[in-house]
Amino acid sequence: MRETRSSLLLIVSLLLFLMSFVILCTWGYNEYYRTKDSKIQAKVLKGDSTAIAKAARDAAIATRDSLQKIFFTTLQNLDKRFDSTLNFADSLQIPLNQRLSEFFKLKTEISNILANRNNDADLGLARQKISELQKKVNELLGRNNEVEQENKRLYAMLKQLSAEKSPVETARSVAFENKVVNQVENKPSPEKSAITENSFQAYDLRLSAIMVTDNKELETYQAIQTDKFVGSFIVKNSKAVNNVAELFIVISQPDGQVLQKSTWESGTFETLNGRKVYSCKLRFDYTKGEPKKLLFNISSEKFVKGNYIMQVYYNGSLIGKIYKTLS
Amino acid sequence: MFKVNLKHIIFTCGIFVFNPILLFSQNNFKLKYKKSDVYAGIEVGSKGVKMSLVEVSKNMQKNVEFNILKDTSVNTDFISFTEQTFKETLNGFTGLFNIAVNDYRISSGKIFTVISSGVKVQAEKINKTNWINKLVDSFRTRINEPGRMVEIIDVLQEARLSHLGIVPESRRFNTFLIDIGSGNTKGGYFPGGNTNDFKLFQLSWGTKSTANAVEKRLEDDQTMYNFSKQLYRVLAGSANDEIVYAVNLSGAYNMSDNIAFSGGIAWSVATLISPELLENPVIPVTYDEVEKFYDRIYRNYSSLSETEIVKLLNDPALNNASIAREVKRVNKVFDQQSLLAGTGLLLKIMRQFEGIYEKKQFYLVKNGQVGWISAYVDQTISKSGQTVSN
Repeated sequence: MRETRSSLLLIVSLLLFLMSFVILCTWGYNEYYRTKDSKIQAKVLKGDSTAIAKAARDAAIATRDSLQKIFFTTLQNLDKRFDSTLNFADSLQIPLNQRLSEFFKLKTEISNILANRNNDADLGLARQKISELQKKVNELLGRNNEVEQENKRLYAMLKQLSAEKSPVETARSVAFENKVVNQVENKPSPEKSAITENSFQAYDLRLSAIMVTDNKELETYQAIQTDKFVGSFIVKNSKAVNNVAELFIVISQPDGQVLQKSTWESGTFETLNGRKVYSCKLRFDYTKGEPKKLLFNISSEKFVKGNYIMQVYYNGSLIGKIYKTLS
Repeated sequence: MFKVNLKHIIFTCGIFVFNPILLFSQNNFKLKYKKSDVYAGIEVGSKGVKMSLVEVSKNMQKNVEFNILKDTSVNTDFISFTEQTFKETLNGFTGLFNIAVNDYRISSGKIFTVISSGVKVQAEKINKTNWINKLVDSFRTRINEPGRMVEIIDVLQEARLSHLGIVPESRRFNTFLIDIGSGNTKGGYFPGGNTNDFKLFQLSWGTKSTANAVEKRLEDDQTMYNFSKQLYRVLAGSANDEIVYAVNLSGAYNMSDNIAFSGGIAWSVATLISPELLENPVIPVTYDEVEKFYDRIYRNYSSLSETEIVKLLNDPALNNASIAREVKRVNKVFDQQSLLAGTGLLLKIMRQFEGIYEKKQFYLVKNGQVGWISAYVDQTISKSGQTVSN
C-alpha cells in the first residue's frame, strides 16, 4: 500500500517537473526569438526610411528641376519678345510698367523658392507662382501681338495715304509717318531735333475707363460699365517761350469715329495730314522746361467694346499716343 | 356667348396688330431721349413760315433738353404785305399746321403758333399791323380753332428765347449770342446771372443788307475784285461805326468768354469750314480760321463745291454723301457774293472781340432758327404745368 502511495507521489512530482521544464523552455524560446525579431525589424526599418528619404529627395530634385525648366522656358519664351515689348513703353508705359513690375516680383519670388534647397515644402507654392507667371507672360505676349498688329495697320494706312499724295506732300508725309512709327516704337526719331525745338513732348500717357457708382469713381475694363474716360499725361518743352499753349486730344472709337466731349467742346483742327476732328482742347499756361501734368475727362452715353486710341497733338503734330481696350 | 368671345378675340387681335402701326406713324422719328414728348412750333417770319418739330426730354433730374427732329419752311415774303403774299403765307401757315396734326400726329395742344418780331417791327413801321390780325383770324377760322393762341413776339423776347434755346445752361451766363439775319443782327446776353435780365444787342446790318449796300456801289464793274473792294469800304464805313458802337454799348466784351453766332451765314460758314462735323449743331472756330475762309471764298471759291470739299475728306468713318448734300444746300442758298458779304460782316463783328491779350472762344451755331421756338415751347409748357413732369 505504502509503495503504491509513494509511486503516485513520484509520478506527480515528475509531471510537475516536466511541466515546469516545458514552461521554461517555451519562455526561453519566445524570449530568444522575440529579441532576434526585434533586431531584424530594427535593421529592416532602418533600411526602409533611408530609402524613402532618398526617394523623396530625388522626387523633390526632379520637381525642382522640372519647375526650374518650366520657369526658364517661360522666361525664354518671354525673352524672345521681351525687347520689342519694352519698346512700346512710350504708348503703353503705364499698363506695361505695372505688368512688368508684377512679373519681376513674381520672378524673384520663384527664384528664391527654387534656390532654397533646404525648404522642400515651398515647391507647391513655386508651382502655383510659376503658373501665375506663365499667365502673365501670355498676357504680355498677347498685348504685344495686339500692338504689333495695330502698328502694321497704321503703317499700311499711312503708306496708302502717302502714295495718293503729290511728291512734295509725300516727302513731308513720310517724315511724319516715320515720326509716328518711331513714337509708337520709342525709337529715336531722325528728325527729333527739328520737332522738339518747337514742340512739346508728351509722356506718361494714361487713359482710364471710369464707372460711377454711389458717387464713387472706380476704374473698369468693361465697356458696358464705363461712364467716362479720364485721361492724363505730362508735357514738357524746354525750348518754348513762357506762354499759353493749346493741345488737341483725339480719342478714336473702335468704329473709327472720334469720341466727342460735347458739341460745344469738340471741333476740327489742322494737322500735317489734313483736318481732323478733336475730342477736346486743352489750354494751359506753360513755363519753359516745366513738366506739366494735364488732365481731362470725356463722358459718353454709350461706350462700345474694342480698341480706343488716344492721340495728343500740338501745332498739328502728333506728340503722344496710347491704346485702351474695353472688353 | 361664343359670338361675344369671338368679338373680344378679334378686337384684342386688332389692337395687337394695329397699335404698333399707329404708334409707328405717331413717332416716325429717331428719338434721342428715353422719356420725351414731341412738340411743333410754327413761326410766321418776314420771309416765310417755319415749322420745327422738337423733342423735349422729360427727365426731371437734368435740365430740359431739346432735340430738333425736323425743320421745314415755306418761303412767302409776308412783309411785302400784298394780297398774293398774304394768301401764300396763310396757305403755308395752315398747311404746316395740318401736316403737324395729320402727318406727324401731334395733338393740337402740342403745336405752338407765333408771329416773329421781324414781322411785327416791319408792320408797325408801315402801319400794317391789321394785316397780322387778319392773318391770325383767317388762320383760326381755317383750322377751326377760334380760341387758338397766336402770340406776336417782340425782339427782346425773341433774342432772350434764342439764347435760352441755343446756349446750354453751363455756358448761359458767359456767352454772348449774336444772330446775323438777312436784314439785321440781334442778340444779347444775361449780365446779371439770371434769365430775367437780358441785355439786347441790335444792328441794322445783316447778310443781305450788306450785300445790297455793296451791289449799289458796284456800278459797271461787276467783278469779284470790285465786289471785294466795295465790301471792304462798306464794312469799314458806316457798318463799322455802328458795330463798334453797339458792341461797346453792350458791355459784352468784359462780361463774356464765349461769343456764339447764329443765323444763315453762321450755318453756311460752319458747314463749309468743318464739313466733318455735319451732325454737330455747334462748331467752335477761331478768328484766324474764319479769316482764312474769307480769303478762300474770294480766291478759291471752286474749292467750296461739294465735290472739292468731299475730296479733301480722308476719314473713312464720315458719310461723304450726306456731307455733299449739305454743302450743295449751302451753295444753293449763298452764292459767292452773298457768302463773301456775310462772312465779311461776321469777321467785322468777331474782330471786336479778338483782343491781343484776351481771346474769346467763338462758336457758329447751325440750327439757331429753331432755338427760340424750342425755348418758347419749354416756357409755354412750363407755364401751363403740362411740362416735362407729365
